[in-house]
Amino acid sequence: MIPQLVTVRHRRPNGRSLPLYIPVLPVLLVLSPLLLLAVLAVLAACLTTRVNPVGVLRRSGQLLWALPGTRIEIEQGRTAVLVSVK
Amino acid sequence: MNEQRRQVLQMLAEGRITPDEAERLIDALDREQPESSPGATRAKPRPRYLRVVVSSADNFGGDGPGRVNVRVPLQLLRAGVRLASLIPPQALSKVNAELNKSGIPIDLTELKPQHIEELIEQLDDITVDVDQPDAKVQVFCE
Repeated sequence: MIPQLVTVRHRRPNGRSLPLYIPVLPVLLVLSPLLLLAVLAVLAACLTTRVNPVGVLRRSGQLLWALPGTRIEIEQGRTAVLVSVK
Repeated sequence: MNEQRRQVLQMLAEGRITPDEAERLIDALDREQPESSPGATRAKPRPRYLRVVVSSADNFGGDGPGRVNVRVPLQLLRAGVRLASLIPPQALSKVNAELNKSGIPIDLTELKPQHIEELIEQLDDITVDVDQPDAKVQVFCE
């Protein structure tokens, strides 16, 4: 399943928390022109380095699909950062 | 022999029940057994995540103790390994040369994707605990 929501939460030293919710699909749609350019660049790089471009795209997709469930929390004293992919 | 069956035989030995009653009780226990056992014998669910938890009592920059808690799906590790297997050999040679320069004599070209996949498959049972007075590291699958 493609990631749907990325949550980034930053707790500042003063105790205030700043949550940031990123809906992945709408963001991908907005950035789709840039993504297209990125895919073309990856294809060009694959052809230059003689790597199978289909394999790269397929395995990049598998990597993206496997992201949901990832959770990273880093706390240092009163400061904390949380990144969660659902 | 389970405890209930032993109790039935004990009652029979003490003459508190007749052999017929004992037989009926044991039959009843046998009928009950298959219903209660599947839960106990069900295979343990396979872990889905690799967890790395680091707790440190060190007071870096006067902020207080630190804690890192990372949960990564095992599927993500597999996908990463498959993607990494596409790295061209000439790039791996360069990485090997740099690793050698840094004193890490590892030949990455010898690391085959199927070996790493096997390694990830066996990660299910891994538990690493490192305890130090000022830090604790735990790596396990859940």
